[in-house]
Amino acid sequence: MRCYLCALEGKTTEAVAICIVCGMGVCMDHLVRDEIEVWEGGYPFPSKKLKRRLPRILCKPCYAVYHEG
Amino acid sequence: MSLAKRCLAEVVGTAILVYFGAGAAAITLMISKGSSPPNPFNIGIGALGGLGDWFAIGMAFAIAIAGVIYALGRVSGAHINPAVTIALWATRRFPSGEVIPYIVAQLIGASLGSLLFAASAGSDAVMVGGLGATAPFPGISFGQAVLAEAIGTFLLMLVIMGVAVDERAPQGFAGLIIGLTVGGVITTTGNIAGSSLNPARTFGPYLIDHIMGGPVLWSHYPIYVIGPVLGALVAVFLYDMLAKE
Repeated sequence: MRCYLCALEGKTTEAVAICIVCGMGVCMDHLVRDEIEVWEGGYPFPSKKLKRRLPRILCKPCYAVYHEG
Repeated sequence: MSLAKRCLAEVVGTAILVYFGAGAAAITLMISKGSSPPNPFNIGIGALGGLGDWFAIGMAFAIAIAGVIYALGRVSGAHINPAVTIALWATRRFPSGEVIPYIVAQLIGASLGSLLFAASAGSDAVMVGGLGATAPFPGISFGQAVLAEAIGTFLLMLVIMGVAVDERAPQGFAGLIIGLTVGGVITTTGNIAGSSLNPARTFGPYLIDHIMGGPVLWSHYPIYVIGPVLGALVAVFLYDMLAKE
């Protein structure tokens, strides 16, 4: 698979990941590796934030939209 | 989340429960003041709308409980009831070192809720409404009152186990269903012993009534410790036995 965003620029770059939101194949230059907090538990027990965070990969357009909203 | 923050959440949650729930019982007595109840078993709650009076009080509890569970359930677990805390501890689901702080927080919260209700509704809330304190109704013995409180709390704890503690429980329904369960129990058993189901819910009105010159009811307090704790313990152990493979 090739990077979609590079293809739009007329380049052919191998994709190294897929955006978890839109499914686009992206190269290292067009991806953002984000980490989100994970909580477990809840009523009738207090929630606990886990030490490890959940990694996920987004393309830059999806990352921008996510953080704008 | 620190223990102090979780205890503060228990204070707030139990205060809300007592202000709105027990407060609804006090308001009902204040509204029915001067009416002529049809028989000695009717002390004023029921004089206006029969069992509908108890349903209204039950719904006030239901909505307050649901609100507290959804608002604070992730912070402290929103037990807002020493019987629930003890039952979870007895089955090793809650740490021993946090039981006493939680119960103290719940008792403080219940007292604060009653105090705020008295401040909001005036002296009649204490002298006429008794701040919604629970006591056995005319003709109800100590044993009958304990039994009614134990059965009501048994159902409450059984539902908590089924809709919240069990990992197979559907997500998101706990507050609504647990609130409605308490509302239903109050509708049926309110006119037996007040349907407290909660040692803290009775402690708050008792303490503030005592301090502010209202009815002194401490002789009934063992009913509201023995019944709820017994009912909750039977429910957790029975549920664990039934749910085990």
